[in-house]
Amino acid sequence: MKTKLLKIKELPIILILIVISIIISVANPAFMTLENFLDILKSNLVLAIMSMGMLMVMLTGGIDVSVSSVITAVAVITGYSLMHWSSNLLFTILVAVLSGTVMGLFNGLLIAKLKIPPIVATLGTMSVILGLVLYITNGTWMTGIPEKFIDFGRKKLITFPTGDGKALGIPIQFLFLLVAVLATWFILRKTVIGRGIYAIGGNRDSAERMGFKPDRIIIFVYAFEGFLIGLAAVAHTSIMRQVDPNAFLGFEMQVIAAVVLGGASVLGGYGSILGTLIGVSLFCVINNGLILMHIPTFWQKIVVGLIIIGSISIDMTQKKRTERNKTRVDVE
Amino acid sequence: MGQTLIELKNISKTFPGVKALENIGFSIDSGEIHALIGENGAGKSTLIKILSGVYQPDSGGQIILGGRVVESLTPLEALQSEIAVIYQDFSLFPNLSVMENIALEQSVKNNDNLVDWKAMERISRDALDQLGISLDLNTILGDLSIAKQQLVAIARSLANNARLLILDEPTSSLSKNEVRKLFDIMHSLKNKGMALLFISHKIDELFAISDKFTILRDGKYIGTYGEDELDDEQLISLMVGRKIEYTIYPKNKRTEPLLEVRGFSKKGNFRDINFTLHKGEILGLTGLVGAGRTEVAQAIFGLNPADEGTLLLDGKEIINSTPNDAVKAGFSFVPENRLQEGLVLSKSIEDNISLTMLDALSGKSSLINLKKRKELTRNWMEKMDIRPNIPEMITSKLSGGNQQRVVISKWLATDPKVLIVDEPTNGIDIGAKSGIHQLLRDLAEKGLGIIIISSELPEILAIADRVAVMRRGRIITEFFCENITQEDIMSKAL
Repeated sequence: MKTKLLKIKELPIILILIVISIIISVANPAFMTLENFLDILKSNLVLAIMSMGMLMVMLTGGIDVSVSSVITAVAVITGYSLMHWSSNLLFTILVAVLSGTVMGLFNGLLIAKLKIPPIVATLGTMSVILGLVLYITNGTWMTGIPEKFIDFGRKKLITFPTGDGKALGIPIQFLFLLVAVLATWFILRKTVIGRGIYAIGGNRDSAERMGFKPDRIIIFVYAFEGFLIGLAAVAHTSIMRQVDPNAFLGFEMQVIAAVVLGGASVLGGYGSILGTLIGVSLFCVINNGLILMHIPTFWQKIVVGLIIIGSISIDMTQKKRTERNKTRVDVE
Repeated sequence: MGQTLIELKNISKTFPGVKALENIGFSIDSGEIHALIGENGAGKSTLIKILSGVYQPDSGGQIILGGRVVESLTPLEALQSEIAVIYQDFSLFPNLSVMENIALEQSVKNNDNLVDWKAMERISRDALDQLGISLDLNTILGDLSIAKQQLVAIARSLANNARLLILDEPTSSLSKNEVRKLFDIMHSLKNKGMALLFISHKIDELFAISDKFTILRDGKYIGTYGEDELDDEQLISLMVGRKIEYTIYPKNKRTEPLLEVRGFSKKGNFRDINFTLHKGEILGLTGLVGAGRTEVAQAIFGLNPADEGTLLLDGKEIINSTPNDAVKAGFSFVPENRLQEGLVLSKSIEDNISLTMLDALSGKSSLINLKKRKELTRNWMEKMDIRPNIPEMITSKLSGGNQQRVVISKWLATDPKVLIVDEPTNGIDIGAKSGIHQLLRDLAEKGLGIIIISSELPEILAIADRVAVMRRGRIITEFFCENITQEDIMSKAL
């Protein structure tokens, strides 16, 4: 029964995903190929990892526009650490998740303790962190990542032989996504704090009355999001083999678009991991389709904006409709 | 009857300037359904909030709970003492499943780290079984009807082992059938030894289910009676025996119709509303909070347009689909909450009074004529006797009575034919109240038609010429305000 309901809830967007995939593959047969799919996976891993954190934030009714700055900063720190401290993989991951968590913690404290609205707090953080990064790096690329780390980034989990001698495979970075999804699933589904995330998104006052501590939950959520961004930064650096301080300009819009596309409500309380993953897939397929169909890249920005406005409009109209249908007076 | 579960002695609660409760003392036994009765503002909600630990009473009182004597409760103590309140909004989570709504609290209280879904299922299944109802545990709460959500709220209190269940107007949004089912459940809980404190305004319901009545009036304890000691009329007279402190103005019969409301209906708000307001008349619109009074007023003013019905002003049909239409047609509306809706508190008297007149003050240039504005403000401040007589004064610094005068001036500045005032004297002192009454009477004498919404019956009887009584979205009756008593009105409103 449970899984049946879940399927029904996410069914519309799954159907949209299928329909759009068919349209694109008709327009360009290169879409429905293993190579293209693996390519989509590789280039959107980072987005998918970060969508998990954004989902949690949005479940509490918050939003985080600083994710692009945070991942840039973490990538810079990771690059520096690789070049100057150690190319040990575990050490690198540790440095990355730690610095991501600290930055997330900072956001969480601003929002929970100083009661700054999430959009304002993270907008401020975004600017501060980005400014610092550009000051330190001068906006130039960091190259010279150690070979050992680059070799790691080239590894494949499973390889599929192709006819012409080349080998396609699932990139090693897929493991980072797996960890992110499993960790998010575990927290949301199996822990009391995870249910608290849903509870404060649904009715904050009642959650508090019930004994949840909303402030702590919110700080935890932003810190965990920072942790995931740390993972994403390592995956990104190992894929790109260099650090570009400008690589993530405007990336927060893509993360938010993918998550709202997956059915998460900006008002908090509603959203699922499955839905978000489908939302990310749909988002990537649309983007990929635009490229395959040789549509100019500025269209991508327009599409991202339209997706956000469209998804949220549906959310808001539904809410308005339920409000309106609420009976105010029991008429005799 | 069982033994005493909770006893209150000398419970008082003072808010700044208002004594909300004064020396309340009564007890509730296990295995009884105890009704708490009083008019709007009698202090019922305050008392519930003290029992649930939301408010701390003034010192000097006692709450005796299972042999323990305390001065006040915290929400946690109330929870541990197994007192559960089901508010009108249920305090549930619309986005979570039925199961979690019932049982999640247990995990939080036990300080669990991990969710035990099996235990949750067991707890919620148990609670629903006790109520004898079957619901799919995995349904999202928001998808259920209000009645079912209420049952979930009751199940949650059972899962928390509540021994005193407080139900705040539980029947207000239920259908007749659903009410019957709820009463069955209340009966079975009572037979299991639970105590229920039940708040309702519906007399028939009170008599159908209660074992005892405790009556509050103006924050004072009037008495506790067994269900066989009172009849409807006695109950009403105990509730409303409020002293009238106001000047009673002479009543006039007017004949020249100004506004006619014909067949106004709006789904879930009100139905088939008909009345006529005459020139120079004050028409009271009363009834309990939630009877639909404000909704009707808002519909006339275009804030909450009716689904059907017609509006005639001076015999001509008009349509107010937005407040803008209404103002243009000659309506003014002074909302109930003057601090939130009526005033820009951080701005001066002048800014506030001229707010409705910006078009007239600006003319063709679209720039505000400051000289004209000053003139207008001076004029109104004198006419309305607003004190202190300083147009630049920030309105948040004025007294409640003077703030209300500013709001009324603002709306009179548009030169309306019909003035609607919603609870105009709420939260202001007696002297200022009489001042507002005098003002409204004077306006009526000049030919304005006034609709006043008020829960305070003495006020209606003092200044209105006629009164229309609403109940559950209908106008039940109309009285000419001469030789009638509060009881006459209340017996219709309940």
